[in-house]
Amino acid sequence: MIEGMHAAILVLAGLVAASVFSSLLSFRIGAPLLLVFLAVGLAAGGGLGAGIVDAHTAYLVGSMSLALVLFDSGFHTSIRTFRLAALPALTLATLGVAVTAALVALPAHWLFHLDWVRALLLGAILSSTDAAAVFFLLRVGGITVRERVRSVLEVESGCNDPMAVFLTLALVGLSLRNGGRVEAELGVLRDLVFQFGIGAAGGVLGGLLIVLAVNRLAVERSLLPILVLSLALVLFAATALAGGSGFLAVYAAGLVAGNSRLAAPDTLRRFQDGVSWLAQIAMFLTLGLLAAPAEFPPVLPGALAVAGVLIFVARPLAVWLSLLPFRIGANEAAFVAWVGLRGAVSILLAILPMMLGAPGGRLYFDVAFLVVLASLALQGWTIRVVARWLGQIVPRRIGPVERMELEIPGARHELVAYRVVTDSLVARGHRPPRWAEPSLVVREGRSLLAHAAGPLRSGDMVWLFARPDRVPHLDRLFASAAPAAEADRRFFGDFPLDPAARMEDLGSVYGLPVPAGARGQTVAQYLDRALGGRAGVGDRIPLGEVELIVRALGRDESIAEIGLAAEPTRVDAPRLPLFSGGTRLKARLRRWLGRG
Amino acid sequence: MEIADLITPAAVIPNLRATSKKQALQELARRAAELTGLHERAIFDVLLERERLGTTGVGNGIAIPHGKLANLGRLYGLFARLERSINFESIDEQPVDLIFLLLAPESAGADHLKALARVSRLLRDKSVCEKLRGTDNPDALYALLTESPASRAA
Repeated sequence: MIEGMHAAILVLAGLVAASVFSSLLSFRIGAPLLLVFLAVGLAAGGGLGAGIVDAHTAYLVGSMSLALVLFDSGFHTSIRTFRLAALPALTLATLGVAVTAALVALPAHWLFHLDWVRALLLGAILSSTDAAAVFFLLRVGGITVRERVRSVLEVESGCNDPMAVFLTLALVGLSLRNGGRVEAELGVLRDLVFQFGIGAAGGVLGGLLIVLAVNRLAVERSLLPILVLSLALVLFAATALAGGSGFLAVYAAGLVAGNSRLAAPDTLRRFQDGVSWLAQIAMFLTLGLLAAPAEFPPVLPGALAVAGVLIFVARPLAVWLSLLPFRIGANEAAFVAWVGLRGAVSILLAILPMMLGAPGGRLYFDVAFLVVLASLALQGWTIRVVARWLGQIVPRRIGPVERMELEIPGARHELVAYRVVTDSLVARGHRPPRWAEPSLVVREGRSLLAHAAGPLRSGDMVWLFARPDRVPHLDRLFASAAPAAEADRRFFGDFPLDPAARMEDLGSVYGLPVPAGARGQTVAQYLDRALGGRAGVGDRIPLGEVELIVRALGRDESIAEIGLAAEPTRVDAPRLPLFSGGTRLKARLRRWLGRG
Repeated sequence: MEIADLITPAAVIPNLRATSKKQALQELARRAAELTGLHERAIFDVLLERERLGTTGVGNGIAIPHGKLANLGRLYGLFARLERSINFESIDEQPVDLIFLLLAPESAGADHLKALARVSRLLRDKSVCEKLRGTDNPDALYALLTESPASRAA
């Protein structure tokens, strides 16, 4: 009995450790980490034999993990990101999900000889993008994706799970009842509104309560993150019991909590990062264990065909339709279409028919599993290349910096510490500006006052007080030399412009067609207006022969640095003849009607 | 637009001496005045006015000051290699040692921008900059500027 327990612990802990070790491998070969976790689970399932985990356990572990991951995604989504992306992302999360489900049902109907309800069920299972996968692939790996498109993808992936869950449950119900009635369908619509209404309202309320609990109760600091996460799970379950969407509730609660003033935000953030990782590992491992690879070969060709339709037809069409009403560039839409990563959510949803005893339950699971594998492998592996090709990556402006920041309560300055790296400007004798006089230099274990230390040497740890808005300037001095690559200067434009420069002066120096109304504006004001008040780093506006480019945003999210390219950079020139935006389509239609 | 259309061998200064941005611009304005026959002060003022919009120190030790002048017959380029690098308030804080000055007639319009784009493209090429830093022979510098691979490709 006790030995069996120890064996179980050995296996479980061993699997988690193996997943973590495999992350090292994944970084080396560039494989998407989640694919590696899934493979570890799959291998373990094969080695230990299926049947360790049953569908119920897998669904329980999976939903709890997903709830935690969604809470964390919400927590890390700034309200600015949400506002930037809310409308297009919500359209993708509702209309987009429905269109995807419908289009995927077509090959499912013919390839697997499913009736329409069951084909649609498979479509619904595969209809949502995976928050964990999207977040992970967009943030990790040292690339910065342009803000506009990143926010759309992140918010979409956080919001579309509830829709997919809802569709799946409704269709499982229909397939169990063997065919739908009109009343049933009307009932479905009413359910939808209820689920989302209760989910969203419960989420916001729950988020506020969590904030209140954290800030008002004198809970031991180390217990705070546990309090937060347990409350999130309570909220998830309570909302679901009340008939709302628990997934939507935790995402909304995370969004509210993450954007509120919280006691000990760093403690919370760090703990949640860890839990989020653990939840993902647990989820992927469990789902891998549930799979029976022996069942895969017969459905493999069909599953790959479904994956192909999903990736190359359904997702692009759904994205194009959903984004039509919004001002989103062709390259941005193409990237959104490509990052339609499927992940644990789809496999999790595929358990439902099996668990609820719908006919042919195992088929959904096997197909979903293979489609997720294909999506993670193909899209996950190529995300960086595609992002670069579509001009969606913000090049790094400076080399790596070793910096620590300490906020000083009540002060306008903060305490910043830098490690002097060998080839940085300061190490090469560039003197820091007068306002950044080091307060303390730690050299070879000895603390020295600045005047005693003399010129900075590499390896020194420098402590100084600086205003937060000047930290980027300091970063450049302390960064290891990584001179802007040719491609980066092309991306940001060669010439820096003073954001406070007048459009009038700019126009007269270069002979640009500055609109009469913009003459009195500063360049920053002009850009901000032209971008609809939603500037993101890398956004660009053509003006006559030149392009004005947002190089950096300040702390208050105003445009802090601007670049000027003397010739059009073509970064935003459409790479594919697809994804024409609404305005261009309208123009084309008008031309066509005018001719006819 | 080719670099050879902008610059003559006489407009290459292999070792300009300056200790500050202002001094470098003054010195360049003086040389440009000799080339173009315009007033030194007028050129300096135009350059300074442009710097007010934002520095023309584009990074990697390169600066491309420029401006438009009435009474200029055509586009004029002037290249200078600095004897000692100077602080140019560059975007990346790096000191500047290569300067390409570009002056355009008031009526140049799009040509001014085309020339500017051409010059920045040339000096974005790190191997070209490396070679420019490696020699102080005016003829070699002129050859590097006008016969770089980038100019053949364009």
